[in-house]
Amino acid sequence: MTSRESDRGYRFVAPAIVLLSFITVYPVLYVFYLSLHRRLLIFDLSRFVGFENYLFLLRDDRFWNALKNTVYFTLSSVTLELLAGLSIALLLNRQFRMKGLIRAIVLIPWAIPTVVSARMWEWIYNTDFGILNYITGIKVNWLGSPVWAMNAAVFMDVWKTTPFVVILLIAGLQIIPKEIYQAARIDGAGNFAIFRKITLPFLKPVILVVLIFRTLDAFRVFDAIYVLTGGGPANTTETLSIYTYKILFQTLQFGYGSTLSVVVFMFTGCISIFYIKAMSRGVR
Amino acid sequence: MAVRTIAFITVLLISLYCVSGCSRTEKDKDRFTVLVFKHGKIAGDPELFRELIETFESDNPGIKVKDETLPASTDEQHQFYVINLEGKSSEFDVLSMDVIWVPEFARAGWLKDISHLLPWDEREKYFPGPIQAVSYEGRLYAIPWYIDAGLLYYRKDLLEKYSLSPPETWYELIDISKYVLEHEPGMYGFIWQGKQYEGLVCNVLEFFWGNGGDVLENGVSVIKSPENVEALYFMRDLIRSYKVSPPLVTTAIEEPARHIFGNGKAVFMRNWPYAWNIFEKEGSPVKGKVGVTTLPSFPGKLPASALGGWQLGINRYSKNPEASEKLIKFFTSPEIQKRLALTLGYKPTRKQLYNDRDLIREQPFITGLYDVFMNAVPRPVTPYYMMISQIMQPEFSAAISGIKKPEDALTSAHEQIEYILRVEK
Repeated sequence: MTSRESDRGYRFVAPAIVLLSFITVYPVLYVFYLSLHRRLLIFDLSRFVGFENYLFLLRDDRFWNALKNTVYFTLSSVTLELLAGLSIALLLNRQFRMKGLIRAIVLIPWAIPTVVSARMWEWIYNTDFGILNYITGIKVNWLGSPVWAMNAAVFMDVWKTTPFVVILLIAGLQIIPKEIYQAARIDGAGNFAIFRKITLPFLKPVILVVLIFRTLDAFRVFDAIYVLTGGGPANTTETLSIYTYKILFQTLQFGYGSTLSVVVFMFTGCISIFYIKAMSRGVR
Repeated sequence: MAVRTIAFITVLLISLYCVSGCSRTEKDKDRFTVLVFKHGKIAGDPELFRELIETFESDNPGIKVKDETLPASTDEQHQFYVINLEGKSSEFDVLSMDVIWVPEFARAGWLKDISHLLPWDEREKYFPGPIQAVSYEGRLYAIPWYIDAGLLYYRKDLLEKYSLSPPETWYELIDISKYVLEHEPGMYGFIWQGKQYEGLVCNVLEFFWGNGGDVLENGVSVIKSPENVEALYFMRDLIRSYKVSPPLVTTAIEEPARHIFGNGKAVFMRNWPYAWNIFEKEGSPVKGKVGVTTLPSFPGKLPASALGGWQLGINRYSKNPEASEKLIKFFTSPEIQKRLALTLGYKPTRKQLYNDRDLIREQPFITGLYDVFMNAVPRPVTPYYMMISQIMQPEFSAAISGIKKPEDALTSAHEQIEYILRVEK
């Protein structure tokens, strides 16, 4: 591209950049600005405190607990969703009768609004009326036990978002040319070899896209867990977003709440950069 | 090119402004004062509520009322008010507030001082709890609209069958539960709300108060008192050692508890008055078998219920404060409180209505509520309440689900509350 052409390019994107900076960059900078203040709405208090909020955060047990919960939730839910999603996508990519219908059925959990499905799972997990305890014949207090509550939330998320992974992976599977599979068969490759040498490498870009979406979503998880457990029992399911929400909108501590938001923003930023690097390496 | 871009953005902004700003019909504005009244979801038929507003409009020519319903969840309503009031919005005039928000909003300077609407002799006509909850530094910032308080529901039929009378102390409740459970297998003793949320705080405070304890005294934390430690141990042991409450109470909110009791699976339940009407509906398995009474207390102590309910206040930035005052006076008047009670089941905040013949005929249950409402205690009346509640919720949850020892949970809550109370200094 000549420099004149690139100049013109800048002019074309200028409106978009202006608009974007208005609705994204400005709020981000403002949140950072707030995070350097001790700001309590109800006391009409707004005082510059430098990095005091960040120092407090380092000593805040509730923050570390929320971070630990968030990381656990993200790692376990994304791993399970990817494994389950890949298996289902491979199955649904075969030829069989009523394929369209089955694919549509698989999508149902994804189509249910999060809050509705969280309420539904709250009943499924109910110790007394819950269908889970009825079927398994055991009496576990799923959402009330510190051991099970987080895993129950992970399982609900896996149920809900695996279909999303499935759609993306099916799309990825469909663009793999049939001829390559045929050629491999003729060369005598077994099922596992075909999967490892053909399917996986071709799917890699799509898998990365899935991972970006799912990791970022899982890291910022709010509504599903907030409705299911409210962060309880005793904050064992409180994630960073839930903690931030409580500090910002329930207790109105805008300074410290903004500090938490900035930290969540930095984490998601790092995750995005990591994946984008991985993608560009994968493409080359 | 640049000029065009600027022109485009200008046009965009102007049109945005028009869409947001000019949408209220200008005609109405000239002829009428338009009041915007924000409230939560109306329990029951919204048409009946609309009729009341029409009555107000015909009594007050020149005022039109637009009533706008907020999202059902209390948290979202709080969030809506905070964002708009912090932004000095004058888009709404009258707002209905949960009992725990008034001191907070008053401290933030978001509410108009309306002490003059309730002179001292008028205040006497209301239950004491709600009046305390709407006061901040000696001034009134809202008027109690309708009232709620924790009740003990019990199975009248089962207690009669075994010739038992309703419990007055918590220990009696345990004995009765155990006795009935021996004869009626498959039931639970006592169901309450123990999920980590605001309702848990109400439940725990009722045990604290019923043992002579409290959270704040003269602005200082007294939460780790021996009375409170004993009460919290007792709640944990309801599940752990007495086994009259099933472990599921640590995840229960109002509705699951109401379902269990409503299906005839529990002898006792702590809940708000709303459940009564549902139990008495046609087809309810417990129709005619339910009694209500004041919550028990610890021996030798006085019982106390957590106060709930909603209050009406005026947005400080409202452009129509006089008309707003008229609307609040109207909705808290004896006649309208009575109609609200008859049509929507909203419990009046005025004491005299509990002697009202029509009301007693229609809802005999209401007479039993008078004592409960007289003994209803507001949660700590302080602008810090929302922060203190956020501290108490996880600590209480940890104690009742056996993650922390009650005294450790209360010590930790005490330290955090002390830290919060120092915030302003």
